[in-house]
Amino acid sequence: MLKREIYSAFEDVVGAENISEDPAILESYTRTTRGVSPRTEAVLLPKETKEVQAIVKLCNRYKIQFKASSTHWGPAGFAPGPNAIKMDLRRMNRILEINEKNMYAVVEPYVIGAQLQAELMKRGLNCSVTGAGANCSALPLAAHEGLGHSCQSMSYGERNLLAVEWVAPDGEIIRFGSLGSTGDWSCGDGPGPSLRGIIRGHVTPLGGLGVFTRAAQKLYHWPGPSIFPIEGVSPHYAPNQIPEGFMIRYISFPSIDARFEALRKIGESEIAFQVMCFAPSMVAANIATNNQEDMEYLERISKSVQGPGLQIIVAGNSPRDFEYKKRALEQIMEETDGKSLELMEDPVIGGGQLWRCIRITGSIRETLRATGVFGGVLGGFDVLSLMLEYIKQVAPLKADLMKRGLVLDDGAIPFGQPVEHGHYGHSEMLIRFDPKFKGTPEALGQLAGEATNIAFNGKYGVLNSINGDERHDKFGPLASNYHLWLRGIKKSFDPGGASLADSHITVKE
Amino acid sequence: MALEDYRSDMETCCRCSACKFIPLEKVTGYQHTYVCPSIARYNFHAYSGGGRMNLGVAMLDKSLDYTDKLLDVVYNCQMCGACDISCKYAMEFEVLEPINEFRIKCVEDGRTVPALNNMINSLRKQGTMVSGSKASRGQWAEGLDVKDFTRQKTEVIYHAGCRTCYDQEMWKVARAAVTIMQKAGINVGIAGEHESCCGERAYQTGYKEDFLKQARQNMELFRKSEARTLVTGCADCYHAFKVLYDKFEMKGDLEVLHTTEYLDRLIKGGKLKPARKVVARVTYHDPCHLGRLGESYIHWKGKKIPGHIRIFDPPKEFRRGTYGIFEPPRDVLRSIPGLKLVEMDRIKEYAWCCGAGGGVSEANPDFAKWTAQGRLEEAESTGAEAIVTACPGCERLFSNTIKENKSVLRVYDVVELLAKAI
Repeated sequence: MLKREIYSAFEDVVGAENISEDPAILESYTRTTRGVSPRTEAVLLPKETKEVQAIVKLCNRYKIQFKASSTHWGPAGFAPGPNAIKMDLRRMNRILEINEKNMYAVVEPYVIGAQLQAELMKRGLNCSVTGAGANCSALPLAAHEGLGHSCQSMSYGERNLLAVEWVAPDGEIIRFGSLGSTGDWSCGDGPGPSLRGIIRGHVTPLGGLGVFTRAAQKLYHWPGPSIFPIEGVSPHYAPNQIPEGFMIRYISFPSIDARFEALRKIGESEIAFQVMCFAPSMVAANIATNNQEDMEYLERISKSVQGPGLQIIVAGNSPRDFEYKKRALEQIMEETDGKSLELMEDPVIGGGQLWRCIRITGSIRETLRATGVFGGVLGGFDVLSLMLEYIKQVAPLKADLMKRGLVLDDGAIPFGQPVEHGHYGHSEMLIRFDPKFKGTPEALGQLAGEATNIAFNGKYGVLNSINGDERHDKFGPLASNYHLWLRGIKKSFDPGGASLADSHITVKE
Repeated sequence: MALEDYRSDMETCCRCSACKFIPLEKVTGYQHTYVCPSIARYNFHAYSGGGRMNLGVAMLDKSLDYTDKLLDVVYNCQMCGACDISCKYAMEFEVLEPINEFRIKCVEDGRTVPALNNMINSLRKQGTMVSGSKASRGQWAEGLDVKDFTRQKTEVIYHAGCRTCYDQEMWKVARAAVTIMQKAGINVGIAGEHESCCGERAYQTGYKEDFLKQARQNMELFRKSEARTLVTGCADCYHAFKVLYDKFEMKGDLEVLHTTEYLDRLIKGGKLKPARKVVARVTYHDPCHLGRLGESYIHWKGKKIPGHIRIFDPPKEFRRGTYGIFEPPRDVLRSIPGLKLVEMDRIKEYAWCCGAGGGVSEANPDFAKWTAQGRLEEAESTGAEAIVTACPGCERLFSNTIKENKSVLRVYDVVELLAKAI
């Protein structure tokens, strides 16, 4: 429990209604299906940047650690006590600016992807929504990596990040990029100080380096309708018809090499709005409205594909553009022996999937509906071929667990996605399991270790799952000793160690 | 069922926060994306559907004990079920059921909020959940020349409900409903002073035994009648008779219809012809217990099949709000010449609650009004001159809030507008 003097000081900042140390309130910030955390000392609900700053300064004065989160899905949102407090940024929920001319939007942390995207579409614009889902923060720094389904055409968090307002771990408010000199949000690198490489590297600091209170992100044009014509009652949402100029296909190939060739050609011709190399299990989970149906779709899709596949969404900017893209895709399919999945050509199923993947609402179904537990192996973020090769090597590990009945037998086909038309790439392996199944937690722990070793020994880059001192210290020497730089940044900006860095890196020597 | 029976469901909550928003595919802008009044008002995660799942597990694990704040969390929820529906777009576990079981546990443990005492004492003493003498319960029907189904043979029972019987301003709705049915040649009867509370509000606030007592009494009364159809204009009563009585296997073959369903049937069957013009631009508010929670109860008994995915033997169909009563009230409104129906952003399965449910009107009237105000502002944003609903609980709270805020918006029940057209 905080000393009364300290609690009162916090209360003076946010008001009595917006702070609590009651066990009922604290307990609700200790649990996700990915883990249970010790309780924090208090939860605070700041409304403004100046309140965040005041809280951070008090933390430094009283030697208390803090962590802030926005939509707080993953375990990085925990602020485990003792001697730590949590800032829930729920009340900082405004879209501050949508600049149509210069194509950027400025948001506070608790604007969610769905809200921003919906507002943008009314203006003929769009943004890259994080792949976790439209239920997550639209702040381009909030997500772990910031990759989304539409990375093919709209890139990802690091590249889309423009100017930022940052309450540094010592309480100083730093506005960088163009915001630092001219007061506008259009650029992350100047005129003014460019600190993009300081505040994030491969992934964001996961709450371990102060609080990002406002940020701007780059926008893209949207050729679709201002409101997507969705009908039906939950969970059976589908458009009354697929809007003109849009098409979705799931294409399977006779081999991994053929799929890679198709990916390369699709990227080169820049015909795709979205490309996701979903495994059949992922397609089934996205489409199905319940687990029973999920398994039925999986069987049906598995029987209908000839090999590894990819889902592509094409969006035409004009009838001629759409026609060109369609014809280019047909030609690529012909050259690579690609075969379209009939199921996805159904206007209701395909139409539903089209919107689900643009809005990004299927990820919860896909990764969590089975048992509520997110499982899987995260690849890194590097050259697409490298990432696909890495995850191909991980696949047999899952196949072995499936064979032993320790995880769900839904195929061991890895997932990958190109970014910026194949300029970059990312890969993952979906693994669904019951955490209470005898032997499963141990087996998955072993799998994670082996997958990490594959990445380490095969020099597949730094995985997105690498966080915390131990892992950074292991992978740092592989990549220019980045861990020393990361630790140096932490030390310089957080001399008092106030910003709780259990998911980032600490200042330990 | 008890809270413990929902442990696995509660443990399946992944903290995605979908329970806080309308289904994400239906988000069309920044405004009106929140769906749960409780988390929208109080902001701490505990007040959300997901937070309540966390507290349920913690309670079972004995890592949490009762505090005043815990009771504040528990009872500042309208039991509107919006979290349940938004969650089940993607996930597959019960949300509202364990929230209700938590309340039942509170009552069993003797930990409730004093503000609910009046309601429950009145129920126990007089069979009504609002103050008023048993003898005056049938006053609303004076002069209507309507049969008493407890003494005379009728084909339809009309149940007015506590909120109508003891609120003189609501009498007009029940009187209009009965009059319209009579005009259509329906042999309808009421119980008058013998009518008793459905028990819904008792169940919602955790007083399960009191609910069961009411249910037994009511079904005994209904069974004595030869009528096999019950019609009610109250969404809470509708949910009790149709869903809860069925859940506890007491409904038998009684057909339960909301007034709007029944009148829609009469209009479509040619027995009623709305002919007079009612020129107005209106928007319709879906009452939670008629809309998303109004679908039939699904009986299921079975077990999870061992393995790495939650599938069940026999297959379990979850109630997701898909088959709630959304169209009949709208169809009745559409049948009225001159009436223009415009929709709000949050409708049907993801409608924003009026604020009155779950004992909130009794325990925290300010929160109830705050919630209603949100809905009224949404209604005003459509350009409608009136908000139309199908429940006296919603109508009463909207009326009070409109008066307090000096809004020019008017509020009607669907039946009132239909009566003008016939």
